[in-house]
Amino acid sequence: MINFSDLEFIFRFLPIFLILYYVAPAKYRDMVLLAGSLVFYAVGEPVFLLLLIALTFINYFTGKKVKEYGSGYKVHKWQEAKRKKLMAAAVILDVTVLAVFKFLGTFVSSSLLPLGISFYIFKMISYQVDLYKGEIWEKTDFKSTALYFTMFPQVVSGPIMRYNEGEFDVRRNYSLEQFEDGLKYFVIGLGMKVLLADRLAILWNDLQMIGFQSISTPLAWFGAVGYSLQLYFDFWGYSLMASGLLVMMGFDFIENFHHPYASRSISEFYRRWHMTLGSFFRDYVYIPMGGSRCRKSRVLLNLAVVWLLTGIWHGNGVNFILWGVILGALIIFEKLWYGKYLSKIPVIGNLYVILLIPLTWVVFAITDLKQLGIYFGRLFPFIGGAGIAVNSRDIIKYSRNYGGLFLAGILLCIPGVFNFYEKHRKNPVVILLLAIIFWYCVYFMASSAGNPFMYLKF
Amino acid sequence: MKFIRKSPLFAIILCTGFLFTLAAIGGKDNIYSSQEYHPLKAPVLAIVFTGINDEIYPWQIFTKDVQETSAQPETEENLQKADAGNQPVTEEGDLQEADAGNQPVTEEGDLQEADAENQPLTGENASAGMPSGGRNEEMPGAEADEGAITAVMPTAVPEAVPEPSSGEEEKARPTPFRESTKEEYLNHISADIYGDVGIINAASYEFAQVDESYFDDALFIGDSRTVGLRDYTDLSEHADFMCETSLTIYKVMEEDFAGMGSVEEALNAKDYGKIYIMVGINELGRGTTEDFMEKYTEVIDTLHELKPDAKIFIQGIMRVSGKKNSGDAIFNNSNINARNNAIATLADNRQIFYIDVNEAVCDEEGNLTADYTFDQIHLLGVYNDLWKQFLLAHGVVE
Repeated sequence: MINFSDLEFIFRFLPIFLILYYVAPAKYRDMVLLAGSLVFYAVGEPVFLLLLIALTFINYFTGKKVKEYGSGYKVHKWQEAKRKKLMAAAVILDVTVLAVFKFLGTFVSSSLLPLGISFYIFKMISYQVDLYKGEIWEKTDFKSTALYFTMFPQVVSGPIMRYNEGEFDVRRNYSLEQFEDGLKYFVIGLGMKVLLADRLAILWNDLQMIGFQSISTPLAWFGAVGYSLQLYFDFWGYSLMASGLLVMMGFDFIENFHHPYASRSISEFYRRWHMTLGSFFRDYVYIPMGGSRCRKSRVLLNLAVVWLLTGIWHGNGVNFILWGVILGALIIFEKLWYGKYLSKIPVIGNLYVILLIPLTWVVFAITDLKQLGIYFGRLFPFIGGAGIAVNSRDIIKYSRNYGGLFLAGILLCIPGVFNFYEKHRKNPVVILLLAIIFWYCVYFMASSAGNPFMYLKF
Repeated sequence: MKFIRKSPLFAIILCTGFLFTLAAIGGKDNIYSSQEYHPLKAPVLAIVFTGINDEIYPWQIFTKDVQETSAQPETEENLQKADAGNQPVTEEGDLQEADAGNQPVTEEGDLQEADAENQPLTGENASAGMPSGGRNEEMPGAEADEGAITAVMPTAVPEAVPEPSSGEEEKARPTPFRESTKEEYLNHISADIYGDVGIINAASYEFAQVDESYFDDALFIGDSRTVGLRDYTDLSEHADFMCETSLTIYKVMEEDFAGMGSVEEALNAKDYGKIYIMVGINELGRGTTEDFMEKYTEVIDTLHELKPDAKIFIQGIMRVSGKKNSGDAIFNNSNINARNNAIATLADNRQIFYIDVNEAVCDEEGNLTADYTFDQIHLLGVYNDLWKQFLLAHGVVE
């Protein structure tokens, strides 16, 4: 149920929740959302629900103190020191909890990693720091704070919204038009996830089934591109669904992806990819360390730390650290040497991104370093040598099977296509198309729920 | 109207959802009666979509309704017949006979009965299942006790082979010693109703080591496992392959294979000397061992009829890894073994052979070796060579 692209969520949880939400008078809607969110989380994670609740209390009360010491006509030095200590204590606690559970999840059992902890802890850290810096102008009563930490559209996988971005004390926009817009985002996201990402996932599964040593070089590249598209539409689709749900409830839209594949450098790519995570690291790690306004060597260190942390945050394998290090290195190189050329010459920058990013995703995808080596050997056979039992014509079969999905995916990577939709989203043809996408998704969800092997037939 | 103007997508989804729900409720007890539905997990309209996946379309509610009402009496009659066929016989005398057939017997007279039970009394079986008694006449071998046996057989051999055989000797096939139970059917457990008679019999044949040119006149039929054999060994330079992901025994004869047409067309177009077949993993969750076996027998007999001189190699279904085996209620090795035991009985070691590649790819516990697979089901590309080597070691040379 905690998966948005699931019949149980769309046809059971969501309608009941939305009816209750809109039947309730506006001032009780927060309570409905809070209750719904706790039910939602409890279904996915009955045990660690207590952890989420405990952390919510701790962060709320520390935040309250931080705010109290900072308010008034004049803030004394001792008050300032106290605030800082409290904020630091809360952040350290949050980071420690995250680190401990990441450690347990990695080295003991993956069942010990609470659902969504990486996301809700980041929200808590941002809450503490923003309160300390006095950047939260809205009221921070317990209900709103708890809502911010636990709201079900974001609790599992983000986006990592800032407290200020949520309309907690101002009146939300409750209108049919707003609801319709949210529904459209949700349906587009659902389509990306179910019709593109989930289908493309079979390609990557197939490559693993064949064994990397036996795939041809063209298929290795095809697979890298396929995986890049899969990841993109999985996550972008998810983010659109999450934000669409919030729009349906009257909140503003939170953008998490802004056509990253149209970027001209890796650093630009990551300003447009999973934007709420990128800006989190920028605001709460990079800038506090000095950001770009210090010695060159210090800037490089700051970048290295940010990207190492990004790698560690993403997963519990050596490959994720390697992935973060590679990205950090590329971004440092861009800053030091060739970044300015990339932005000046139009096509070169785009090619650079389109060529390099899929390779970094391969590092992201393959947790076994030996297998990763084999895959790169297939990508670059002049280094890696010949494979074993390679079928040199495999690319024909796979491009026939996945050509359509690739075409649709690549089209959606072009900003103009999505902008065209945004412009014409009220056109009856577009609306009809969205309705068809919705029911087509339902078809896939229904037929794969009855038979889990729908996707993986033998 | 304001609602539709302001929120057209929401309106369309609500309306179409309502229509789908109506269709689902309307068809729930007839066209969608075979669709699984969990009210807590999915809306009722989900069955319209699972139905479409099984090629049942909503508009069939109307056409099917008419058919069913007009054919009502007949259907009921058939149902009764089917019941009679599936349930232990009711008359006392018959029951005794049934016992005689299923239990070890000591007296001479009973022994004859038992023997008769192991004989391919296919004609009688068919007559038990079907109203026409015409088939009895085709079986001159059946003698005085025929009436009694006819009544007994449905219990012992529920899914008979309706194959008009030319010589009974050649078609002598072991029969199952019991029926699948309803519980086994509901829980997707493949009942081991044949034991290892077929396996032992098939293994008694001495296969010969052959070289690759042996496969020049071979045809391979199979599912995604065979796709792996085709794509990741050089066998396809010698043999022809008619294989497709998700192929089942139920689809194999109807399937239109890209570039080759149907199996029948391929057999008519080229003079194949060997036909290899491996299907069965995809349909593990469907029907009983009997259903599978009935269809499998029909396919093998059809292949044999189409190419009487070709050697048919029934390949045992490749097992899954230990991890899959222990974690999957359907796709596990005891289900695979039960079905392999069934199809192995079709081997006559003259025209039809049974070979089991599991010997070459499984570990000591009989599971697909973990290192040979990523997804616990398919051989990694490179290990298809083990299968090829196994085939090379299991040639039939006269």
